[in-house]
Amino acid sequence: MTPSHEIEARLRETAEELLREKRVDLFLGYEKASLPFRTAPLFLTSPEEVKRLAWNPFCTTNLAVYLPRLFKAPADARAAKAAPPPPTVGVVLKGCDTLSVVALIQERQVPREKLVLVGVACPGMVDRRKAERALGEHQALGAGEDAHGNVHVVVEDGTELTLPREEIVADVCLECRRPTPSIHDALLGAPVEAKAPDAAQRRTADFESKGLSARWEHLQKTLSKCIRCNACRQACPMCYCKDCLLDQTRPRWVGASTDISDVTIYHLLRAFHMAGRCTDCGACARACPMGIDTRLLVRKSTQLVEDLYGYRAGEAIDATPPLSAFATDDPQDFLTEP
Amino acid sequence: MTEKRIPHTDLGRFLDRLRERGAVYAPARDEAGDVALTEAPSSEPVVLEYRNFRLSPKAFLLPQNQTLLRFKNGKAEQPDLPDQETFLFGVRPCDARALLALDEVFLGGDQHDPYYERLRAKTVVIVLACTRPMASCFCTSVGGGPGDGAGADVLATGLEADLLLRAQTPRGEELLSSVADLLADATPDAIEEAEERIRAAEDQIAPVKVDNSAQRLRDAYDSPLWEAASQKCLGCGTCSFLCPTCHCFDITDEVRGGTGRRVRTWDCCAYPLFTLHASGHNPRPTPKERWRQRIMHKFRYAVETFDRLFCVGCGRCIRNCPVSMDLRTVLKEVGA
Repeated sequence: MTPSHEIEARLRETAEELLREKRVDLFLGYEKASLPFRTAPLFLTSPEEVKRLAWNPFCTTNLAVYLPRLFKAPADARAAKAAPPPPTVGVVLKGCDTLSVVALIQERQVPREKLVLVGVACPGMVDRRKAERALGEHQALGAGEDAHGNVHVVVEDGTELTLPREEIVADVCLECRRPTPSIHDALLGAPVEAKAPDAAQRRTADFESKGLSARWEHLQKTLSKCIRCNACRQACPMCYCKDCLLDQTRPRWVGASTDISDVTIYHLLRAFHMAGRCTDCGACARACPMGIDTRLLVRKSTQLVEDLYGYRAGEAIDATPPLSAFATDDPQDFLTEP
Repeated sequence: MTEKRIPHTDLGRFLDRLRERGAVYAPARDEAGDVALTEAPSSEPVVLEYRNFRLSPKAFLLPQNQTLLRFKNGKAEQPDLPDQETFLFGVRPCDARALLALDEVFLGGDQHDPYYERLRAKTVVIVLACTRPMASCFCTSVGGGPGDGAGADVLATGLEADLLLRAQTPRGEELLSSVADLLADATPDAIEEAEERIRAAEDQIAPVKVDNSAQRLRDAYDSPLWEAASQKCLGCGTCSFLCPTCHCFDITDEVRGGTGRRVRTWDCCAYPLFTLHASGHNPRPTPKERWRQRIMHKFRYAVETFDRLFCVGCGRCIRNCPVSMDLRTVLKEVGA
């Protein structure tokens, strides 16, 4: 595993060069945030500012979420004509984030030729809630990576603590299938192997093996925490629709309340719209302020597409997503007579 | 002002007495390990060690969805307003102070909101002074403090062996006298211990400069900083929905045939739909205008209209923003 500070130094060099040589108009990366265990997305346009770029165990945000909006043409024809040409964007991507970019390229939301992909081989990012819980009564003042890749924390009374990385890494990272970006224009850090590539699949199967009522009860219990803030939708790189069904008011297809029926419909709709498109980056679960496992339903719809069509979103840039294509020998066993 | 003491060991009896009068919500640990205001049975131990709840208690007064009327075949009727008293025990001072902001909006003008008014009248708030502030807390910079009792009926401060109880309103006086047999007089030692604990908490809170925020924000309306600061905003509603003072709402009619209800639901200025006109025009078309509105509302418009900051420094928006936006940074940048 390459130490984070080495990657950070190379990242700054790469960004500086790209911006100085005007090979990109904008560089998307991470910077230190005001609270420990976090970073904030950073939009850089000047080579003088690359010192702000950070690489550490807290670079969780899937920056691919910002790409569609940078390339979205205005709906109004006159505005579209007057709009500036699309920018060239350099972007820092972990293995999971790269899957999102590939899926966005496949769905023609972002043009490959306008992107400079700076891939980073990722050893797994920290789940800040796990880290905060691991500290118990203590409050972190600052956190960083130590020489062994673990997380070094200074707490309120000046005490220094070490949190073993594997204990506070996000669940989605423990289940990661692709830590090293599949496509990239530059790759930083020594490639990292997936530790448990089948873990997500196993968790889906585990849940499925429970009885119908147990599954339903579990879903109702977890979803009842939902406050309908839309963080899961907004954090998702694949949720780029100009007009989301959920925002339509004439008619209003889905109620906006937190009644369990409205909440359930919301989450089911998200799962349906993600079938064959979700790359399981975990952005939705990270964004949820209520700690709901928003991946559960979506993972099932993803698994179905994989079982039926042997397809995983974001894996191959030249593949045709199964729900965007039709073949006469498509499996259709799931179709039932009314 | 009545000042009393109750030993920790009698707290269960105290809450049981309140349960005889109405619903009691007290801090309890859920399965995930979070402490939340819960309507727990009296057998559950009361948790006194927590920082703050994930959700602010505003939903007790302004429910996230509230039926305003029901209609059937052309006739509308207002649903019965709640009659039962609700006791909120263990609310933090910042969140109680936020109720004063909601009071301005829903009770301050000549039009009282009957739904809010009834819930406010039926809700008794017992604040628990804060001894464990977080790095995202800044109550002391926005008029509050860890030992502030504003907005509450009773201010409780946890001591080594007791809780010190101080009535803040006539309703709080009435509450304490109704359980007088459980209470002992406050001693000078207890009062001093409480003050020490609150001072220690105050010392842990880093100040944020908000003086003259209204004027500074007026001057900064067209500043390029809004564009830069809002670039990373995802446009979710986490900040608003967790905010104890955010109170904007939408009203929708849910109709099926001739029957239905009119429902009020929380809304949020980060959503594009929030200001979308029927014509298709949107006066706040990008995150820049929306994020500016959020800051302007709390630190300028509320000051101009109500002479009150609509931020209590609870830090929920900072702790929970998926992309680590921190309104303290913006306040610093505008020099507010």
